[in-house]
Amino acid sequence: MKQKIWPILLLALLLFIPLGFIQNQINYETIAYDLQTNLLLMPGEAGDMVLAGFKGIAADLLWINVENYWHTGQHFKMIPLFNMVTYLQPHWILAWSLGGWHMAYNVAADVKTVQGKYYWYQQGVQYLKRGVSYNPNKYDLYFELGWTYYNKGLDYSNSVRFLKQAVMYPCPSYVRDVLAHAYEKNGEINKAMEEWQKLLKTDFKGVAKRMIYDLKTRGWATP
Amino acid sequence: MKKIWILACNTVKESFRKKTTYIIVLFALIMIASSEFFAFLSSTEQYKMITDTSFAVIEFFGFLLAMFGSISAVSSEIEKRTIYTLLTKPITRTNFVLGKYLGMFFILLINFSIMAVFFVGLLHFKKIPMDSGTFKALFLIFVEILVIASISLSLATFTSDAFNIIASSFIYIIGHLTGYGRQIIGMTKNIAVKGLADMMYTILPNYQNFTIRDKVVVGIPIPWQYVIIVTGYGIMYIVIALLIGIYFFRTREI
Repeated sequence: MKQKIWPILLLALLLFIPLGFIQNQINYETIAYDLQTNLLLMPGEAGDMVLAGFKGIAADLLWINVENYWHTGQHFKMIPLFNMVTYLQPHWILAWSLGGWHMAYNVAADVKTVQGKYYWYQQGVQYLKRGVSYNPNKYDLYFELGWTYYNKGLDYSNSVRFLKQAVMYPCPSYVRDVLAHAYEKNGEINKAMEEWQKLLKTDFKGVAKRMIYDLKTRGWATP
Repeated sequence: MKKIWILACNTVKESFRKKTTYIIVLFALIMIASSEFFAFLSSTEQYKMITDTSFAVIEFFGFLLAMFGSISAVSSEIEKRTIYTLLTKPITRTNFVLGKYLGMFFILLINFSIMAVFFVGLLHFKKIPMDSGTFKALFLIFVEILVIASISLSLATFTSDAFNIIASSFIYIIGHLTGYGRQIIGMTKNIAVKGLADMMYTILPNYQNFTIRDKVVVGIPIPWQYVIIVTGYGIMYIVIALLIGIYFFRTREI
């Protein structure tokens, strides 16, 4: 007697129902743990890579172009590539920090007018802020923002604002040191002193001692 | 079970007689080792690119091994007409499909392990830090390869080799894009289109579920819970694909 085989197909089809539930759970987890990915359709090899599911490689290919433009002084051409890379991999900190630095420093230096320089400085800052919105639980981009405000913009109040955020997360000692300098420049000497006192217990002990001494004897530590 | 085991062992032996497997694995190892190409980059950039490239190479060559291995496991038996001898013995068609898949599992496990050990060795040699994320990404790549093998094997039971290669490659690409497709379709107001899209979204394998390597290289922690659920998804899909394969193989006239 011939065996019935349709129940096998029926079982296979019925199993798609629990599979759908599992997929829903995966979708939920993907959102909960911030594992979503963005699709960027673009021409060339990088586009092919994206279609085949190799977004990391696509971002790397674009990054190699960024490096090439950087070494040949074509700073302006780097901007759209930075945007593509960070769109594909928004959690790649280096892309945000280097992109922000290039805009605020290198592209700004290339521009001749004062307005142009200020425009690119602002673009760099905005880019870093966008990076922070994707990576709010790491010190890196808060520090980059704080440093750009401090060093490039000479905007010490904003610098303090972001460096204060940076030290809330695990970070190297130099981040707190820059915060202390920013406090001092912002006229908050006591707070600067407090930060250097905290650094006395770290590998920045020597620097902190010198800064405290300078503050007490000369009244200023940061030139 | 013994019959399935014997078939699996034969499939493994057969695979090691073919040069294709060695060539694919050798190419993969060369690609992984070519990380020296990135020597012009800073160490942080190098780390990301070596890891990215290696993960991608392992997945892509794993896909090739799974697809070609599964296709040849079934079609070579039909071409050489050894299947007639097999099926006249007390081996059912269900045994045949399951035995072939088990054999593919071991072939892929061996080849994947070679590539993974080489990759981990390279990271160790380059003093690139590894964490549990690296191993989670490797594990999910392996599960993805197993799903690909089950689909190709299932297709091999009722389609020609050429069609199978095209279909498997197409499913591989589409499987990485279903998530995006669903997002786009989500914008439409047409219920029929939405329903059809949802159905396709469930039926087609969502390979994006397994793609955590892009997250691992930028330091995003992947919870075990996610890995377990996605593994469950993979196993469920393999079961479905094999059941469909068994169904069509039993209806096929040989």
